[in-house]
Amino acid sequence: MKKITDERLVLQNLKNIRIAFIIQTIGILGILGYDLVTSGLDEMRQNPLWTIFIITGVVLAYLSMSISTDHEDHKINPRKSLIISLAILIFISTIVGFLVSVTEGFSIINGVIVGVILFICGFIPIIYIYFLRKNRQEEEAE
Amino acid sequence: MDNKVKISRIHVNLTQQELAEKIGVTRQTISLIEKGKYNPSLKLCLDICYAVNKTLDEVFWIEKGG
Repeated sequence: MKKITDERLVLQNLKNIRIAFIIQTIGILGILGYDLVTSGLDEMRQNPLWTIFIITGVVLAYLSMSISTDHEDHKINPRKSLIISLAILIFISTIVGFLVSVTEGFSIINGVIVGVILFICGFIPIIYIYFLRKNRQEEEAE
Repeated sequence: MDNKVKISRIHVNLTQQELAEKIGVTRQTISLIEKGKYNPSLKLCLDICYAVNKTLDEVFWIEKGG
């Protein structure tokens, strides 16, 4: 098969893929919704489609970050917003970790683990955004 | 968007098909550009101009608001 070089058709192809993606997502949501109604939340999360749905969501969110950083106001200082985000993240994970450790049936270790997991989950996107913003700033400086 | 692709193409004795093959797109795309129904990228505009031996402003320039 010949490779498509016509830019109009390439663009049309991307639009078609988008439509297919929407249909696929609706289908996955339909199946998961059916599972949720008939057999409950735990059963639904056993379904591999759930994993696919979550992974797709995460990938889409990360890809959207590069669009957001290009779209946002130009006056944001990457270092300053990194420090603010990290401070908020540490605050939230400490509070949640503390609340877990004082909850009946959970030990201090559980609290620490939950806090650390929460911190790592927040840390990765924050660092990613920081590097995106820094790269953009360097591009503007050139 | 209005343009002079059709006139320029006829000037150098090319059919839509020949022009399309020369710049590596489909005949339908040339047809849509001539009708003003597809907005080509700058790269494709340049390729068309090279094929018809004209400059960008001769083929694609339109007065503002015109």
